[in-house]
Amino acid sequence: MLLKINNLTVQYGKAEVIKGLSLEVGETEIITIIGANGAGKTTVLRAISGLKPPASGDIWFRGSKISGLRAHEIVRLGISHVPEGRRILAPLSVAENLEIGAYLIKTKRERGTAFQNIFDHFPVLKERMKQLAGSLSGGEQQMLAIARALLNQPRLLMMDEPSMGLSPLVVEQVGRIITDINNRGISIILVEQNARMALSLAGRAYVLEAGKCVLEGEAGALANDERVKHAYLGG
Amino acid sequence: MKLPNSLKTDRVTRYKWIAIIIVLIALIVLPLCIESNYIKHLLIMACIGAILGMTFSLLFSSGLITLGAAAFYAVGAYSSTVLVMNAGLSFWAALPLTLVFTAILALGFGAVFVRNAGVAFVIITLIFAQVVVLAAAQADFLGGWGGIMGIPRPNPVGTVNFAAKTDYYYLILAMLLLVVLIYNALYSSRIGRAWRAIKLSPKLAGTLGINEYRYRLLAFVIGSTTAALAGCFYAHYSQNITPGAFGGWLSIYVQLYAVLGGLEFYILGPAIGAVVMTFVPEYLRIVKEWEPIITGVILLVVILFFPGGILGTLKNPPALSLNKFHSLYNRLVTGKKRDSNS
Repeated sequence: MLLKINNLTVQYGKAEVIKGLSLEVGETEIITIIGANGAGKTTVLRAISGLKPPASGDIWFRGSKISGLRAHEIVRLGISHVPEGRRILAPLSVAENLEIGAYLIKTKRERGTAFQNIFDHFPVLKERMKQLAGSLSGGEQQMLAIARALLNQPRLLMMDEPSMGLSPLVVEQVGRIITDINNRGISIILVEQNARMALSLAGRAYVLEAGKCVLEGEAGALANDERVKHAYLGG
Repeated sequence: MKLPNSLKTDRVTRYKWIAIIIVLIALIVLPLCIESNYIKHLLIMACIGAILGMTFSLLFSSGLITLGAAAFYAVGAYSSTVLVMNAGLSFWAALPLTLVFTAILALGFGAVFVRNAGVAFVIITLIFAQVVVLAAAQADFLGGWGGIMGIPRPNPVGTVNFAAKTDYYYLILAMLLLVVLIYNALYSSRIGRAWRAIKLSPKLAGTLGINEYRYRLLAFVIGSTTAALAGCFYAHYSQNITPGAFGGWLSIYVQLYAVLGGLEFYILGPAIGAVVMTFVPEYLRIVKEWEPIITGVILLVVILFFPGGILGTLKNPPALSLNKFHSLYNRLVTGKKRDSNS
C-alpha cells in the first residue's frame, strides 16, 4: 500500500467533519472520492497533506506515519496537492509560479531537467512563460497548478476538483492529462463533484456522505450502482 | 537544446543599468554641490529612513506587517553606544558586535513573535517597540529618560574624521547601498521567492514544501539586524540618544515611507517615500506639532485613493472617475457598500 488511512476523524472546532474514515491507495492506482458539497472530500485531502491536523486516527505513507507532520514536511516525502480552485499565484508570472513550485529541487541541473519535463508535457506553459498566471484561461491555470505540483516529483498526486469551472472540452483534456500522469507511475487521489468523469478515470472509488464513507468499490461497479446513479449521476 | 536552468524573465535591461549608474553618480556627487549643513542633515536622515523603510518592506514581502521597526533601531543605537562608551571599543569594532547581538536578540524574540502572523504580529511588534522604549527609560546605566549625551564620533579612517556632515553622508550612503545590494540579491533568490509565496498564500507555500515559520523568522532577523545597523549609525551621528527618539511615532513613519513610495516596490518604494517624507514637511515649514496630523492625513489619502503609492500610481495611473469618489462617499457617509456600476 502506498497510502493507508485508519479511522480518520477531523474536526473544525466542535464539528466533526470526517467521522472515522478508512481509505487505501495502492501503487500506481487512481482512486476517487466522490460526494456532495460539504461531504468532507476536501477535508480528507487537507488532512493527508498536513494542512489540517486530524483529531484522531492515523495516516501512513510508504510505511511511515505522516499524520502529525507539517505540510512542508509531507510534500518532501512525495505527496503533492493540487488545491481546489487552482490556487495559482495570480499576480506572479507563469515562470515565477514554476520557480516557486521547484522550491524543493536544489541543484540547477535537476531544475533544468524538471522544467524541460514540464514543457514536454505542457507546451502551452512554455509559450505563456512571461504572462501573469492570473491572465491564463481556466484550463491553462489548471495545467499550471498540476505542473507545479508535479515539479516535486510526487509518488502520490492529490487533485481537488480539477474539472471545476472548466468547459466540457477542457474537462476532457484534463482527464487525458490525469491518465497520462498515472501512466508515468504516479498514484492519484481524485476528488470530484463531477462523478461521471471521476468514475471513468478511477480504478476504485469511495462515496462520502456527511463525513462517512457509505460505499466503496470498483469504479465501474459503482457507476452502475442504483444509489450512486440516483444521487450523483443524475439518473 | 539548452535546458532552462532558471526561468527568470525579469532581467535588468540596459536602460535600467544606465539609470542605476546615473542615480549612483548623482548620489555620490550630491554633497559636493550642497553647502548647507541643514540639507546634508536632511539627506542623512532620509538615508536612515530609507533603510528602516526597507526593513518594513522586507518583512512585508513575507506577509508580516510590523509596527515595531523602531525597536531594533533603538537596540542597535543603545548597544553600540554602550559598547563604545562603557566597554571602550572603537566604533568599527562595536558595529559588527552590535549586529551580531541584535541578530541573536531578534532570533530569540522573533521565534515567539512570528508564530502569530496577521493582526497578532502587528500588535505584538507595536507593544514590543513600546517596551523597548520603556526599558531604556528605566535603565539607569542607559541614562533613563534623559538618555545618553556625548556619544563619540566614529573613529577616523585615514583622513576621514567625521567632523563634517559629508563624511557621515558617505558612511550612511555606503550602508544604504550595502542594504540595497543584499536585499536585492535576497529578493531574486530562492529565499525571496519563498517569501513571496508565503505572502500570497501561506497554506499553498506549505504544500510546495516551504517552511513558513522558518522563512518568516529569517525575514524578521534580517530586518531587525538591518534596523540595528541604522541605529548604530544614528547614535554616533546625532551623538546623543534618548528613549523618546525611538517612540511609537517612528515606527508609524517608517511604515509610511513604504506605503507612500509604493508597497509593491520593496527597495525603491521606501527610498522614495523616505526622501519625500523628509524633505516635503521641512519645505512646507510645518510647525512640529502639526506634523503628525499632516502625516496622518497623507497616510489616509494614500491608502484610500492611491493604494499603489507613488511608484504604483506612476506605473498604473488610475483612471480618475467620479464613480470612485461616489462609491467612497456612499461607504463613508451612508455606510452602504455599493457597486460603482450599479
